[in-house]
Parts: sequence; C-alpha cells; structure tokens
Amino acid sequence: MSITYLEAIREAQARALADDPRVFIYGQDVGAFGGAFKATKNLAVEFPGRVLDAPISEDAMVGAAIGAAIEGFRPIVEMQFADFSTPGLNQIINHAASLYWRTNVPCPITVRLPSGGTSGSGPFHSQSMEAIYAHYPGLIVMTPATVEDAYSMLLEAVAIDDPVIFCEHKYLYYHLKAPCLPTEAMPVGKARIARAGRDLTIVAYSAMLHEALAAAEEMAGEGTEIEVVDLRSIKPLDTDTVVASVARTGRLLCVGEAWPWGGVAAEVIARVATEGFDLLDAPPQRLNAKDTPIPYHPDLWSVHRPTARSIVAAARNLLRM
Amino acid sequence: MKQIPIIMPQLGESIAEATVITFLIKAGEEVAADQDIIEVETNKATMNVSSPGRGIVRQFTAKLNESYPVGAVLGYVEVSVEEARRLGLDEPAPEDARTPAHGGGGVTTGDTERKRKVVPTVRGLPVPAHAAGASYMSPRMKARMNELGLHAADLAGLAGSGAAGRVTIQDFERFLANLEKHKLTNASTMRVAVADAMRRSWTRPLATVALPCLFEAMLAHRNVSKPKAGPALYALRALAVALAENSVVAGRLIGNKIVHPPSIDLGFAVEAEEGVLVPVLRNADVRPLAELVGRYNELVELARQRRLPNEATGGSIATVTNFGTFGLTWATPIPLPEQTLVLGLGAGKKVPHWDEKKEQFIPVTEANLTLSFDHRVLDGGAAGRLLSRVAALLQEPEKL
Repeated sequence: MSITYLEAIREAQARALADDPRVFIYGQDVGAFGGAFKATKNLAVEFPGRVLDAPISEDAMVGAAIGAAIEGFRPIVEMQFADFSTPGLNQIINHAASLYWRTNVPCPITVRLPSGGTSGSGPFHSQSMEAIYAHYPGLIVMTPATVEDAYSMLLEAVAIDDPVIFCEHKYLYYHLKAPCLPTEAMPVGKARIARAGRDLTIVAYSAMLHEALAAAEEMAGEGTEIEVVDLRSIKPLDTDTVVASVARTGRLLCVGEAWPWGGVAAEVIARVATEGFDLLDAPPQRLNAKDTPIPYHPDLWSVHRPTARSIVAAARNLLRM
Repeated sequence: MKQIPIIMPQLGESIAEATVITFLIKAGEEVAADQDIIEVETNKATMNVSSPGRGIVRQFTAKLNESYPVGAVLGYVEVSVEEARRLGLDEPAPEDARTPAHGGGGVTTGDTERKRKVVPTVRGLPVPAHAAGASYMSPRMKARMNELGLHAADLAGLAGSGAAGRVTIQDFERFLANLEKHKLTNASTMRVAVADAMRRSWTRPLATVALPCLFEAMLAHRNVSKPKAGPALYALRALAVALAENSVVAGRLIGNKIVHPPSIDLGFAVEAEEGVLVPVLRNADVRPLAELVGRYNELVELARQRRLPNEATGGSIATVTNFGTFGLTWATPIPLPEQTLVLGLGAGKKVPHWDEKKEQFIPVTEANLTLSFDHRVLDGGAAGRLLSRVAALLQEPEKL
C-alpha cells in the first residue's frame, strides 16, 4: 500500500472535515469535479454542503473565507495554482494577515497553493510564492516536502488559529509516494535533518529537498558527507536547527526553486550570518532559479531551476573555498 | 616514463577558474620545462599555463572553451624518470583511500587522507610559494583560534590546503593533533606575557641604527665615583638629557597625531626568571646621576624578586637595555608595544682607535650603542642624531 503526496493532502482534508464541523473547502472546481488536481476527489459526496465551488475570483474567494472565519468557520481555500493567488493578495495580506492585530478576532483560514513547476507548465503555472507571503507578519507559511509532512502539516494548518499559506508542490503530487500516513509529527516551526552529514549543510524545502538529497547521494560516493536540512515551514523559520547544522559543518548552501531576490535562501543566509558568523568557514552560498520569468519550453525550463546536477556543482565550489 | 599532470595554476588571488582558449601545442609534441602550452582566459586577463617538465604532451584532457577550476587537471606530460626526480615528483602517488563515512558530528582529524595534501612548490621548501590566501582566516577559524588563545603568529609555519593556500579548519585541527605528539610543557605566564607584547610590538615597522661609543670617559668617571653607577644607568641618564632637549622622537604616532611624552620617565630592562621586567625611573631628566643610583639598584633587586611596586612599572617613554652583560656586541631589541624607542648597550671591547694627535692607534674601550625604533615616528636621521647626542653626553659623564 502506498500513498502519494496528493492523496495525503486529500486524506488530511477528509479528516479535517470529519473531525471539525466548522471546516469547509472553497475553491474553483473543488466540488463535483474534485479539484483541478483531484485533491478533493469525492469529498463533496462524502461531506455534502462542505465542499463548495467558487467563482473565478480569488479576491472573492479569500474575502468570503475571511468573512466565514470571522463568523467562526475554519475554511480551506484551494487556489488552483499558486500563481493565481495574486488577485487575492490584498485580501490575504491586508485583511487576513493583520485581522487579529487590528480587531482581536482570529482568522483561521488555510490557503492551499499548488506551487512549483513541472516541465511545460510555463510562467503562470509554476511560481513559488512562499517568500512573498512570508514577508507579511501574521501569516504562517508551510512548505511540506514529504508525503508525511503534507498530511500532518495540513491538519495542523487547519487547527492553527492564524491564517496559513500552505505551499504544496505540484511536481511532488504524483511522483512522491510513502508507505503509509504518519501517526505523529514534528510541530510546525521545526526543521528536520533529512540527511546527517559533516562537510557542508544544504538547506532546502519542498521539491528542492529531493534534488538536494540526490546531490548529497552523488557526493557521498566521493567521500563527501553533506547534511541536508528540510525547513518544512518557511514561517516560522527554524533558525536554531540551521545554525546548529552550520556549527557542525562550517559551510552553508541554501537552495530554493523561487527567484533569488528576497527569497527564502536570502533570509536563511542573513540569519546565519547574523547569529552564526563565527561558525562559517566559507561565505554562505545560495542557489535559486535564474532571475527570469519561468520559461515554457522544456529545454529552457530544465536549466532554469536548481537540479541535483547544479546543486552538486555549487556544493563542490563551496567546498573548494 | 612518468605521467605528470598539467594543473590549472593559481592565476590570481581571487581567480577560481579560467577558460581554455588555445592549445599552443599539439598532443604528441615535445615540450621544454616551463614552456607555455595552454592559453587560458580569466575574467581579468589572458594567461599561459606552462608545462611542469620536459617531455611529451601525450594528451590534453581539457576541452577548448571550457572552464576549469584552479587545481584541475588539464592534461598530462610524459617525462623521463630522471626528469621526474628533478622535479621532486618521484614519490609514489598518495593512496587513493576512501575513508568510510563518519556519522554526523564534528570535524575529526582522522579524515586527513581524504583531504588534499599540501604540496610544496619547491622540493625542500615546507610551504607552497605564492600562498596568496595563506593569511586569510575564516570567521570559524578566528573563533577557534580565540577559543584556544592562539594568534596568526602561532600558525606562521603552517601550510594551508584551502583555496589559494589558506589554512583551513581541518589543517588547523590536524596541526594541533600533531602537536600532541611532541613533548609539551606549560609556558610561564611571564613567557606568554612577553610573547604577547613582542607580537604586538612587531606589528609596527621597526628599524635599528648603531653607533660605536667610546667608554673611556665613562669608565674613568665610574672609577672615582661613590656610589658607582653601571653603564646602563649612565646611558639612561644620557638618554634622559637628550630626550629632554627633544622629546618628539620618543612620541607615538596614533593615526595622524603625534602624542608627545608627558615626562621623561625611562625604563630599563632587568632579566627576571623566564622573562624581562622593565622598572621605571620617573623624571630621569631632572635628577643627576648620583641621585639615581640608589633607586636604580633598589629597583633592580625588586625586579629580580618579582616584587616591583605599581608606581615603578608602566608609563615609561623609552627603555634602555644592556645586552652587553651577556657579552653581546650588537643586537636589535624590540621596543615595548607602547613605546617608540629602545636604546641598547653592547659589550665594551678594547679596540684600536686612531688618535689624530699622536698619529697612531691607541687602545680604547668601545661599545656599540644601538637605537631600535618605530620607523613610523622617526627616520634614520633623527635616530642617528639622538644616538650621536647620547654618545656625546657619555663623553662628559661628570655633567650627567
């Protein structure tokens, strides 16, 4: 028996609907159609009246969800693609994020963003928006990289009283499988040491975690032991785990699929430089997508984002410093 | 025949890689040692890679218009066994050992085989030449050195295997582990204190000038004096008078300001167990020699017993050291870190001296006066003038 990343998300939503009558799902085509990626397949039938189709207006979707949250519900909003969440940006950052600060009323919405690219998905179906949302105080941003985390972190997202941006990776939907669902989990806000090492620390999250692990395996063949840290959540960011890892290795490479400017990698490096400067044996490095819109053509796309290959090259470079 | 690798050299301090743009010879061609064989381009300039030895270039493994990092193998030169020996490359290649992966944890010194060995550029020279990055210490290195109370001076002889020859944390830990194999004893606090003072003093550009000084007058004066002053005290008193006439030479340079000495307080070096102490005679320009003798002798005794009172230490503007007591005729003492000058006195020796009037050589007692100084504050001329004044004052010891 094995379960995919997507199925884990579906299972988590089913469980949330079953456990808490205040939960409902709202998104485009989530009802009878079961969602663009089938993340809500059959849930409308299992939970009548709790899985609702929304109009093609992300602004309205989030706005309605915030209203419902104020009235005591716990909505899960499914964006069809992370890229499309921008029409709803104002609602998310100016209403949901700061509602509790302004009014003392919590806003327990969960916004699911199918993020990241696949070959041929192009500039509007491939973006990783986590850095944009993490920038705003009041939002929690989760970026699960494993099937187990997709399940447990989505459950925790629904349970948290703050607005949560849940960045699920499209490439992992069908490709990533696990033997079973977890029964316990690390809390949100803790990073996980995905691979213990000694010579260099790679900090990654979401789909890039798997590229980093592949890179680490390749370099293990040469006698280099790379430690890989899975951030799990971008906000809150587990600086302590990252700094402890750099204390062991002295070298840091941050990998992210998003663009370099003001991204998660930049934030991690800034924190390590501030809190762990004396631990660094070489300048910290980052590896991100090229600073261009995400290409459509598969040949261009394949060199646009970091891969295990480019991570190995970056790691080798860092080890030479 | 031996295959010698053609290695991408360190082309400049910040250059990490270069692109091969031309092969200057064909594979199979004979080359001379140091003959240019590959042209490479960095983001700063075009340079040549030369053959490591005389032989035949069998093959280039590098490709045209490809970029290779410093240290990468670009090809091979086949050389004779004698040529390999001449190059110092006749040792067997290091074992290609793959250490088993250690569990996650701190850096261990056991992974020495896995790390690149430091290769001397010239056989017999312990460190690579042109180790451009050798003095770079990463924040982690600095923190580790601080932890252990070490300074860059302690690592002077350590060759680095990191980029541009820098000492990596692994080189360092290996070095420390190696030290453990030697006999180690604790240095005394005095030793460590003097080491620290000398290291800090040496960060300045220091120079020394010397002048032979006739001691006849001083020795004659001493014979008829009570109490008797030693040569060091005569020199100290002469220095005090000379500095009172012009104290700027004993000032300090901080940034673009000259800090003038507040008073002519002079120290003198006394050998105490395991090091040197410098008691101070305050306002040595004001009191004549006879009045200083008692206090001087007292301070020497207290210094030897390591019982100097606080008011007799620190705050001196120059030091006198009599290395002549060890039989030395010449030395370059290092001024204290907070001082600009140290006047040295060598051992007196009987030497022939040309007497113009008698038109013959006569035996005289002569000793070298040396002045070691911070060259930022004064130059040879001023140093020479000060020494000449001190020597002149010592010719009229009754006025001191």
